[in-house]
Amino acid sequence: MKPHQRLLRSCLRACASIGLILAGQLPLPAQSQITPGQAGQVRSVIGNRVEALTILGGDYGLGDGTYHYTGNSIGNSHSNIDTNISKIGGYGEVGDPQQLGGLGIGWQPRFQGSVGYLDSKNKFDSGLLKNDTSESRIFAIQFGGGARFWLNEHLSLAPTFMGMFGHTTNEYTANSAFMVANLPQARRVGLVDWNADTWTVRPALDIQYVYIWDRTIFTLSSDPTYFHTKSFSSSNSNVSIGGDSETWANKIDVDIPLGKQLYGHELRTGGYFSRTELFDDIKAGLNNGHVYEVHGRLVLDFLNQFWKAQWIGIGGSYFWGSNFSGWSVGADVAFRF
Amino acid sequence: MITKTLNRAMITLPLLVIALALAGCWTAPTANVQPKGEARLIQSAIPVESVKHRVTVQSIDADRRVIVLNFSEGATATFKPGPQVANIHQIRAGDKVRATVAQELTIYVLKNGQVPGTGGKPETLEADAKVLRVNPSYRLLTLQYPNGQAQTFKVGLDVKLLEMEPGDIVVIRAMELIALRAENP
Repeated sequence: MKPHQRLLRSCLRACASIGLILAGQLPLPAQSQITPGQAGQVRSVIGNRVEALTILGGDYGLGDGTYHYTGNSIGNSHSNIDTNISKIGGYGEVGDPQQLGGLGIGWQPRFQGSVGYLDSKNKFDSGLLKNDTSESRIFAIQFGGGARFWLNEHLSLAPTFMGMFGHTTNEYTANSAFMVANLPQARRVGLVDWNADTWTVRPALDIQYVYIWDRTIFTLSSDPTYFHTKSFSSSNSNVSIGGDSETWANKIDVDIPLGKQLYGHELRTGGYFSRTELFDDIKAGLNNGHVYEVHGRLVLDFLNQFWKAQWIGIGGSYFWGSNFSGWSVGADVAFRF
Repeated sequence: MITKTLNRAMITLPLLVIALALAGCWTAPTANVQPKGEARLIQSAIPVESVKHRVTVQSIDADRRVIVLNFSEGATATFKPGPQVANIHQIRAGDKVRATVAQELTIYVLKNGQVPGTGGKPETLEADAKVLRVNPSYRLLTLQYPNGQAQTFKVGLDVKLLEMEPGDIVVIRAMELIALRAENP
């Protein structure tokens, strides 16, 4: 169970995008009102963004933080985004593997879950939307599980299925002359000041290979994951969110005991390097085809010493993709049930 | 995009099949195997702390501070509890208690139930437990008692876990009773 700061960083980008789409699509200086064509275009792009946000903000992991992001200029508006994300969750197998019938396969039940809350304020500081604020709040809760099947002591497969509920609220504060004039229309056509509930199903497969050299543990994993999201209620009949997204994460993790103790617990270090491919709506929503992450950690071993904790310490990540980069630092906690 | 995903899935699937084909069979850990190598002593006096549940107090002399405990795995041991065991006067014979015991483990590889003793003369040993699992990375040693119960210990950095394997014989020496707590009958 490890922090997934990658998700937080990706959320920033998606939140930024919602405001910037409005900025880019709506406020052409010559226009005095929103045309139906523009409204449809914006709605479609917002749908991808909300789908991406809900997936990334609510998908299981553990981490929270406060972030500031300066959006790139689109159209003639530029914005600053402050995002707060609180998320708690994780995944893990329960107990030791048990033999599956008379087969040469071991299995363990696996549970995954997450609760996340995201609050993003997008403040426009130039252009036609200058002094306007678009605030997005997303609450998402996700739960599911499956089983890990051990084919030998190194190789295992974990098919899982999860369901997720998401509630997204958009609030727009109009101060610019353009949006003061167009706010009622923008509300009516479902571009601002709306809320929507979504459900997501998430089948996935985790393929893992564990190799131990001396006392160091190497874990290679590959996680193809599919998301199908659909809105089932919204404050405006024009707001409809839905679509398919796929991700494929490939990761190598190294867990190294250092042979030195602190307060009766052995120090461990390690980290991972991953590349996550993004497909379909999540790729469109984040405007990114893949995300790299390099993560390092320094932790104390608590396994078999304190409840179900495996380790407690600190960790940090650096992320980069085709058009963004970022970093995060936080608590690194792992449990083994 | 769906096509691209399917293409990737089609690449992944054969790799998965190859991996499965190459994979050996998973086997449940068992302590009833003969370890590799010659009969020998691997390490003696490995200190561990063991919390034992549902221990029966066979007899107790609170004034002389002597207590005989019957453990659920079948072993019986006599202790002279230290001053840290303050509640000894509240314990009665027949009570079920949770006992925290300091123990020392000695690990052997036996051949035909024997290990070379002093002067190379074979000695017969009676096992208190066998090694079931070894996790050198997290320093976990799991023992299996004759009644089938398993218990995992966190051992020190100096313990030669890389030399241990399932089936090794464990001789347990109870050193001290650290704590005693009554459990509901």
